Amino acid sequence: MPQQTSPPARVATRDPLAWAVALVALGAFAGCIALWRTGGGTIDVSWARELDLRLHFSFDGIGALYGLLATGIGAAVFAYATAYVPLHLDHQARPARDRWRFWPWMALFMLSMVGLATAQDLILLFVLFDVTAVCSYFLIAFDRQERASRLAALMALLVTGGGAVAMLIGAVILYADHGTFSIPELASLLRTQDEAGGIATGTTVAIGLIAAAALIKSAQVPLHFWLPRAMAAPTPVSAYLHSAAMVAAGVLVIGRVFQLVEVAPVVQDGMLAIGLLSIAVGGALSLTRDGFKQVLAYSTISQYGYVVMLYGIGGRDGATAAAFYVVAHAIAKSALFLTAGTVTMAAGCRRLSTVGGLARELPVLAVASALAAATLSALPLTIGFFKDELFFRAAAEHSTLLGVVSVLAAGLTFAYTWRFWGGIFLGERRVGGAADDAAAAAKPLAPVPALLTAPIAVLAVLAVLGGIVVGPFAELASDAAGATLGHDVQLQLAYHLDARETWMAALAWLLGGLLLATPKAWGPAARALSRAGERFGPSHVYELSLSAVNRWSDRLHDVEVRDLRSRVAAVLLPGGILVALGFAATPTAGVFQIGSIDGTDLLVVALLALVAIAAGVVAFTHQHIAIVLALAVVGLGLATVYALLGAPDVALVAMLVETVVTLVFLAIVAYAPRGERPSRRELAGVASEPQRRHTHSRRWRDPLIGVVAGAAAFLVIWGALSRPTPAERVVDELVRLTPAAHGRDVVTVILADFRGLDTMVEVTVIGVAVFGVIALLRRGRTW
Amino acid sequence: MTILTEAVARLLLAPSLMVAAAILIKGYVDVGDGFAAAVVVSLAIALQYLAFGARRAEQELPVLRFAPQTAIVGLLVALSSGFFAVISGGAPFTHEPSVGARVVRIGRLELMTAVSFDFGIFLLIAGALVALIHHLAEPPELEPDLEEDAEAAR
Repeated sequence: MPQQTSPPARVATRDPLAWAVALVALGAFAGCIALWRTGGGTIDVSWARELDLRLHFSFDGIGALYGLLATGIGAAVFAYATAYVPLHLDHQARPARDRWRFWPWMALFMLSMVGLATAQDLILLFVLFDVTAVCSYFLIAFDRQERASRLAALMALLVTGGGAVAMLIGAVILYADHGTFSIPELASLLRTQDEAGGIATGTTVAIGLIAAAALIKSAQVPLHFWLPRAMAAPTPVSAYLHSAAMVAAGVLVIGRVFQLVEVAPVVQDGMLAIGLLSIAVGGALSLTRDGFKQVLAYSTISQYGYVVMLYGIGGRDGATAAAFYVVAHAIAKSALFLTAGTVTMAAGCRRLSTVGGLARELPVLAVASALAAATLSALPLTIGFFKDELFFRAAAEHSTLLGVVSVLAAGLTFAYTWRFWGGIFLGERRVGGAADDAAAAAKPLAPVPALLTAPIAVLAVLAVLGGIVVGPFAELASDAAGATLGHDVQLQLAYHLDARETWMAALAWLLGGLLLATPKAWGPAARALSRAGERFGPSHVYELSLSAVNRWSDRLHDVEVRDLRSRVAAVLLPGGILVALGFAATPTAGVFQIGSIDGTDLLVVALLALVAIAAGVVAFTHQHIAIVLALAVVGLGLATVYALLGAPDVALVAMLVETVVTLVFLAIVAYAPRGERPSRRELAGVASEPQRRHTHSRRWRDPLIGVVAGAAAFLVIWGALSRPTPAERVVDELVRLTPAAHGRDVVTVILADFRGLDTMVEVTVIGVAVFGVIALLRRGRTW
Repeated sequence: MTILTEAVARLLLAPSLMVAAAILIKGYVDVGDGFAAAVVVSLAIALQYLAFGARRAEQELPVLRFAPQTAIVGLLVALSSGFFAVISGGAPFTHEPSVGARVVRIGRLELMTAVSFDFGIFLLIAGALVALIHHLAEPPELEPDLEEDAEAAR
């Protein structure tokens, strides 16, 4: 990174956009605290009544907890990003205006998380769930010049978006069975049903789908692979995504729909199993990773595994512990991620194998992130101690086996957390690993702006404060658990040196220390698991299916475009045959009549003859210009026929459209190769053997298709015109109603009023089509 | 193009726009509507492109630059006049002011949702067609990294 010598003062900006977003976050945080202390509030507005949708938000315990996280952690991360983003853009030699690709999405991310935290309606939940996915897509792909970033963003969007679809299906099944999207209503309905003798299988499936969507969002095994890939995002995005948004949205949804999950024990047991699996897989893989952010990413998978497992245990203990765990984890994990970003900015490397011994040079950062690491590994005097105490209690109350497993899991957490911290700050500076990192490692540290350390220190102080004055945090967690369970919960936390949980924690630290001291003992096994996962794991399946879908779409595209005429034939020929069958089956007596011809009819007949001749020209000529002009004759001739038949509106529009279409066609002809359309003989001359056979067969096929389709259309229209249908009465009714709609021109009133919705959809299609064409021609430039 | 076509094109611009305005405003009582008016506008613009060439036409009418924005505004106007009733729980395309109620008039133009919807369609179609004409007037240079992207996507 050559630009790193530039003094940070130059890029440490006073960017008003960045500060505005950060201040909005801070203000929203204050607002959330005020709302929480005053007992919240509810907004319930009807929205699309026919579909039974409501904009139902309620700032309850869950809303308070996740709202405070999204805005509070958001404020810290955003403050950090005001210094980070300019440096990041500077390193990549990108213009400062690219920050517009960052801040608005971050603000929307925060807003959608607050909305998600307070939403009480399944459809609303789905919509906001997807908004977070879209935001994360653009933020992960912030370095859009890099292929890895684009693919990672696509993966995150596809995997979590697919989950969201499952959630929508689940919501619709529940609506079909119970007639409401409202989560509180569904909860009480299902509880009564459960007490009356159990819920239906369909309901269980629906709840399972919703839970699956949440688990995917929280990056649980086996659909966890998108999260480590999403580390391609800039560090503040990763920090926010892991601690307070996106991944947290998954467990948020579980907390919100927990009363539904409770009546489906299968789903709850599944969550317990998946949580345990995620703890194990995430923890083991975290121990094998070298990149800072990779270590942290796998640790997140494992940490949310704890929360999912706690919800799987359920009950008062589980729900309270889960809520508290989310808070403690968010504080610690965001601080650790920001540490990784600062170290990368200072030392220019991203791997544990190329740093070390930074404690001497970055003492403040070292202490602050040590406190965060202590929180994550549940050492006393940090808020993390209580998260593990609650975790141990819930697990041990459930069963002894789960208690043992929980100690193992906590040991794993201790090991990977301190491996991360020790690798960065202790020992000597290491040189090795990837070439770019090796080069960077030789350089002295770059000066770091204060804002790249201060937010980490604030978060660390918060973590320690929570370990001493745990009351407010406990209250927040118990409020959230109350909203989750549907009844009030009390939570008292304090240090008890003789409690069972304290001994379990001590055992876990010992185990973690052992793991740290003996990397040679478990290293090969963990690396083998990692390799197996890469070769046979779900991410491999994802890539295979993505490339298969790509191949399919290419093949379909080839079939569709290679031969436009065969596509037209694919519609016309079956259509014609079906019509012929219809005629064979229905009585045709008196249907085909030949009326009298007089007056202007003679003119119409003459025009139609002209149209027929022009159509013949289109079929037989080989010159592009001639085809365009002949088509124009067809169109304008028909427009004149409309005028003669007394349909001036249609005639006007037809005339205008024909003129424009002719001009556009002529302009498009300019794109085509010069000269005549190649004749059949020429085509056959240059074509390969199979293509020649193809061309030969077409000599008979095309006219045949034309005749069949044309004859069918002719018969249908003749039959229809011979027998005026009763549908005319609809027209009479429309004519009668037109004055009531303040109009005198029936056609306009039908278009703009009676059939307004049709028109709306049609013009939207036109707009989308035109801009789609422009996007294809000009790569997204609209002008 | 000859001097004659240029002169004719220049002379025809203002009257064609006038005709378009007439078709648009009279749409509710006489032949024509927003769509037809928009096509007339785009034909008038297309004539300028044909007579003067893309560059000169756009120099003389810098307002053309805003065609894409016009289309988007038009779509929003149409959408909002169609769906604003949904917010208050009504059906889409509810007629406001409702049947029989008094309507604000400007001359013979009556202000109601159906008319603003028609106006939105006018803006959308006119903007989209002008943008299309602009892009067709100068064929795109083939950009090499387009293919690279396609490779990467695979």
